[in-house]
Amino acid sequence: MTSAAIRLEQVTKTFDSRVVAVDAVTLDIAAGEFFSLLGPSGCGKTTSLRIIAGFEHPDSGRVHVGGRDITDLPVHRRDMGMVFQSYALFPHRTVAENVAFGLRMREVPKSEIARRVQAALSQVALTGLEDRKPSQLSGGQQQRVALARALVVEPPVLLCDEPLGALDRKLRQQMQFELKELQKRLGVTLVFVTHDQEEALAMSDRIAVMNKGRVEQVGSPTEIYERPRTRFVADFIGEINILEEAGVARALRPEKIRLMPPGGARLAGKVETANYLGGSTLLRVRAADGRSMLVRETHVGERASRAPGDAVGLTWNDHDAVALEG
Amino acid sequence: MTGGTRPSPIAWLVAPAALLFVLFFVVPFGVMAMMSFYSGNPVTNPNAFATTRHYERFIFDTAGIFHDALWSTLRIGLVTTVVALLIGYPLAHWMARMQSRLGHALVLMAVIAPMLTGIVVRTFAWMTILQDKGVINTLLIQWGLIEKPLPLMYNEFGTVVALVHIYVPFMVLTLTGVIGRIDERLEQAARSLGAGRFRAFVEVTLPLSLPGILAGSLLVFALSISAYVTPSLMGGTNVLTLPMLIAQQVGTSFNPNFAGALGVILLLVSLVIVVAYNRILARLSGEQGMA
Repeated sequence: MTSAAIRLEQVTKTFDSRVVAVDAVTLDIAAGEFFSLLGPSGCGKTTSLRIIAGFEHPDSGRVHVGGRDITDLPVHRRDMGMVFQSYALFPHRTVAENVAFGLRMREVPKSEIARRVQAALSQVALTGLEDRKPSQLSGGQQQRVALARALVVEPPVLLCDEPLGALDRKLRQQMQFELKELQKRLGVTLVFVTHDQEEALAMSDRIAVMNKGRVEQVGSPTEIYERPRTRFVADFIGEINILEEAGVARALRPEKIRLMPPGGARLAGKVETANYLGGSTLLRVRAADGRSMLVRETHVGERASRAPGDAVGLTWNDHDAVALEG
Repeated sequence: MTGGTRPSPIAWLVAPAALLFVLFFVVPFGVMAMMSFYSGNPVTNPNAFATTRHYERFIFDTAGIFHDALWSTLRIGLVTTVVALLIGYPLAHWMARMQSRLGHALVLMAVIAPMLTGIVVRTFAWMTILQDKGVINTLLIQWGLIEKPLPLMYNEFGTVVALVHIYVPFMVLTLTGVIGRIDERLEQAARSLGAGRFRAFVEVTLPLSLPGILAGSLLVFALSISAYVTPSLMGGTNVLTLPMLIAQQVGTSFNPNFAGALGVILLLVSLVIVVAYNRILARLSGEQGMA
């Protein structure tokens, strides 16, 4: 399967001439990359995706795919697969007919359609359900049909709008693995919209964190998590402590803090709350100067025994406290 | 009740509707059907006898008007339905997909407002527009486009025009509800899979709105084949529909028994058409259990 690079160039989109949904966004997505647009609702991630898909036309800026300017190309000529949050399966058609739709639009010969539909369904482990209607399938199965329908036409780009949002946690995790494996196997460029930071971290090659229509930071999951550039990124992804030192804000992850006896520690305080999370415990420590700090205590062997009221000392390495812009 | 289930308390709320249906449809229709098999009124006339002569009179149609009246009724009903669908569908689609709430409210008002004026008033309005000395003919003659007035009314054309105008709101309201419930993303999915806008509509929205097309069409068809006022005023002496014929039999010829037979025939014929239409649409949509 071929894949294509995507480039958004200073793309801006305003709704009702007031709300700026996407504000001068520039993104370079490499061919074959698993790329996530991550942010809270209303940050412009879905609008950006719909601009790539062609459902929205940007007020200004250009969209290039595979080196070609497609800004003015209608949706049906863009040759991209799209998976919707609601799956958007055709309720009046069977699974096989749903999957065959894109091939039929491309006037692929009938015998070849049958063969490719079979191949696509076996790829998502749905063989045998060809004649079911979407309403007779579980959420996970509908999700797979939507994937098969988008991928059967072998698009160079696959766009996913919160495709796992409607699944329960267990199934979502399983689909995360499957989707990632499928993407790597096919080599398709995948643009994935999500508000779930764990999902983005788990699946992506690179992530663009968006806020208020702008891109705050682009980087690998490790970069985004370990070296957040702005306060927003640090705060949006995982738990964080923001330290103000000499006019510079620094971000410190709770798991970078080590617990020790109060004497000789950087910060001494008392445990206020201890939230047991299974593999670790998240402590809220009130420091002597009144600051509140989050500390993750990882359990090696037995469950650790810090309890509210315990006096503790906190320490960390300087390079783990990342300086933030603004 | 099967299986010993008790009716839910809500079921009692249906009672008034059920009572109305029985009192004002089942009973009168039963009386009418019974009368149609008697020579006179068996309650007041001891000499009245059971007979099928009213049906024979219709079937053999020696006067040569009854069959024509039936055909003309059905023709007017079908043409009105098709035209109302062609006008109503785009309007309903536009309304259902409208983003602005204000716009939606305004269009809805525009659709419903004519219904507030009553059928007779609207029919008279069409008469002033379509008659020989009406607005259209006067203007066309003034501009020298025609010399003699066009026959715009006192025929089936004028009847259909007025009926369409009166019944289009029923079509639009029925269709808007159904189209509004179709997820827009289905069409978007079709477009992302390579279908142009029109193709996406034909492949997705149109088949999914078939239940609305069916309901709206049946409503308009039923209303227009039973219409009396509009065909009488707009058709004049050139149009004779079954409802007009029935009114004549009751009011002028004092033959309620034959009128009853005509009523039964109209009901049976329209039932056959409705069932056939339902079957065809169900097959087209490929959906089970719609019929």
